[in-house]
Amino acid sequence: MNRLFIFILLVAGLFYGNISVAEEIAESGLPYNYADTYSIPIYLKIVEPITTKHEQIIEGQVIKFALQKDVYHNEELILERGDIVDARVETIITSGMNGFPAEIVVNGFDIPGIKSSQLISEYTKKGQNRCFWVYPLKWSLTLIPFVGSLTNLIKGGHAKITPKDDIILYYYPNWK
Amino acid sequence: MFKKVIAALFLVSFLTLSGFGAEGSDLSTQNSIQSRIDSVGTQLLNCNKITKRVVFTYNTKEKKKALTTDKGLTKRQVIIYDGLYKSIQSDDELAAALSREISTVIKSYSGAWGGMLDSVQVALGAKKFETVADKRAVDYMVNAGYNPLALIILINKTCPQKRFDRFSRHNLTSKRLARIYEYITYKYPQYLQENDYINNPYYQNFLLTSLDNRKKLDEKIKNNSTKEIDYE
Repeated sequence: MNRLFIFILLVAGLFYGNISVAEEIAESGLPYNYADTYSIPIYLKIVEPITTKHEQIIEGQVIKFALQKDVYHNEELILERGDIVDARVETIITSGMNGFPAEIVVNGFDIPGIKSSQLISEYTKKGQNRCFWVYPLKWSLTLIPFVGSLTNLIKGGHAKITPKDDIILYYYPNWK
Repeated sequence: MFKKVIAALFLVSFLTLSGFGAEGSDLSTQNSIQSRIDSVGTQLLNCNKITKRVVFTYNTKEKKKALTTDKGLTKRQVIIYDGLYKSIQSDDELAAALSREISTVIKSYSGAWGGMLDSVQVALGAKKFETVADKRAVDYMVNAGYNPLALIILINKTCPQKRFDRFSRHNLTSKRLARIYEYITYKYPQYLQENDYINNPYYQNFLLTSLDNRKKLDEKIKNNSTKEIDYE
């Protein structure tokens, strides 16, 4: 009797297992399918530093990154340390009044053998945010007429991406 | 007398039923508009792999300009008001309207204190972030397969032209349009080379009204300059 019970449990377990597997590999008719959560990190560093200072970069400019670690998928080497990857400066936000920092948004990473649809890759770097002390200063100075407006002259920091910055992208090999 | 009562009852019941019918038809129209907005909005979120939550709401009321907080920054909710929806003629244009708002919402998720500081910055620096939102909208539209020139058409149709913008919280519409055109010229020139909107009268109207600004852009391209153009 016990053996029969164990057998039933085993069959039920296998059946349940099949259902879970079936759910995992469910196909999507859409151009994307984000069901799978398995991802591989890709570590990068910029080759030449860039900054928003002196309008040195423009939107759409191609910049180069170097791989910091080998990347393996299914125990197979797909990208080697030192490989160069191109990306684009997506958007530049210049620094503004009252300590607003500048910002660089990088995307469009072109990695050999990896589709862009399989990457979560947007990287944003901000400059120094001076709002933390500029706002309290502004509000305390408003007690004296017109003086509070002087903080408008304080600009936020420029955004820089240097080889010291670790950039991590996530590669989802099972995405479409 | 009895016949008159029957006739009156018949009339009342007919009017009531027709009233219900009109209400039902209104709801059905609103439902179809909401579904269209949800569909295009979700397509934009998914194709751009936006990992933050954003909801889309259709609102039949007119937008109140003064003393209202931007729901995009506080509730991460994109509201399409009836006044704007009336001017939307294609999915490309709807995507344009939604993309602009999505980029504002995404900004509210980043930075210190759960994005509160960045939200304040967006609200206070509305002029600067207006340009940023326009540019990000172009990227979102391209990634989701919509034509970014529709953003130019939508803004050209719906945003009035003020006299000055020096002391305003918003840029002159002509400046916004010129910056979007420049952004598309540099980043997505294929949309200008194979221009699906060249026979669109609204697009031609933009080309006509932006002659001076486009001349400035031509000069910039000719001189390989990286300097920001002072558009009019």
